Amino acid sequence: MSKITRREFMAATGMLAGGLALSSLGVPLGAVQAYAGELSKAERVKMAQTFISTCDFCSVSCGLLISSDAKTKKVINIEGDPEHPINEGALCAKGASIFQESTNNPDRLKKVLYRAPYSTKWETKTWDWALDTIAKRIKAVRDKDFMTTNAKGQVVNRLESIAHIGSSKMDNEECWLVSAMLRSLGLVNIDHQARV
Amino acid sequence: MSEGKSIIMDTSRCTACRGCQIACKQWNGLPGTKTKQTGTYQNPPDMSYQTFKVVRFAEGKADNGKPYWYFFSDMCRHCLNPGCMEGNKKNEIIQDPATGAVIHTPATKKLDYNTVLAGCPYDIPRQDPKTKELKKCTMCLDRMRDNKIPACVKTCPTGALVFGEREEILKIVEERVAKLKQTHPKAKALNPDDVRVIFIVTDDPDRYHKFAEA
Repeated sequence: MSKITRREFMAATGMLAGGLALSSLGVPLGAVQAYAGELSKAERVKMAQTFISTCDFCSVSCGLLISSDAKTKKVINIEGDPEHPINEGALCAKGASIFQESTNNPDRLKKVLYRAPYSTKWETKTWDWALDTIAKRIKAVRDKDFMTTNAKGQVVNRLESIAHIGSSKMDNEECWLVSAMLRSLGLVNIDHQARV
Repeated sequence: MSEGKSIIMDTSRCTACRGCQIACKQWNGLPGTKTKQTGTYQNPPDMSYQTFKVVRFAEGKADNGKPYWYFFSDMCRHCLNPGCMEGNKKNEIIQDPATGAVIHTPATKKLDYNTVLAGCPYDIPRQDPKTKELKKCTMCLDRMRDNKIPACVKTCPTGALVFGEREEILKIVEERVAKLKQTHPKAKALNPDDVRVIFIVTDDPDRYHKFAEA
């Protein structure tokens, strides 16, 4: 991108002239100024510090450009990286919505929400409670359903009542660790989410 | 002045991933809207003052008895002679001289919504019930001023959306339609001489959307 100031760019593209012409035509200046206020996002993105990253939704791993505001240091925009060889700037609906995962999304979940069976309400719980509860339930199910032999009397040592769905973003080593843990529980229903 | 900018929306290349719909919301900072499951993937069911772009899904039976399922990434066409501007009292609706983008400024709250809507053959403008401002796609004028392409076009993974100088876009439209005609005799561009956002369809436009063609 050439080093051209906004004023020069606007003048070059006739915007400044157009704006002046419009104000002399009697466009309510308030409206034009209000609209200029809406343009601040493009300005802020232009001045922002840019980081590159990859989309975390599926195994395609499209490239992202993350704009972090120069003053507040908060993420203000995320869009596709045109120089990334995989997506060349494009993003699907999930990738395009990835800004919602940033910390300045007011709807972002910050605490564990738990809905008990048959309940219609969410309860706020701590992480400790959540992890303990998951561990307790896994143990209870495993103790109850673990099979040492099948109907023919052959040794199988497996647990069919728990399934695991992995992440498409795990690397080889993480996959090994997770499968080792799951196999030690006796799980056979192990799948991943690389398709999307 | 050049002839400004144009966008192609080629329905034959669209996979209805709805990336454009989300990218539009994301760039414009528009919130999600409460919707209902209506038995189609089209969601939200229609455009609103918070949704400038909707991928419309249409299904039915074609002439040969086979089912069709068409996708139509609906948005403001940014007409060369905008019908909505007929509803102008002063200059509440303006046309950007450099790009040709049609902009509904916040001053549109002084306009009569039904007059503006009646002027639009594509059923685009929507009114904010609180502020009474009229809202619609801005063709990402803010991005274009910063030498960026519109958010929807940038995110399109299949090349169904293409952005460029109007003269070049018109050439590409001709090429694409000519190529599509070999396999889809009904293929055509919708109102290419009147609008900046030119839709290419492979079948009867009414099958895509009631207001697809003027």
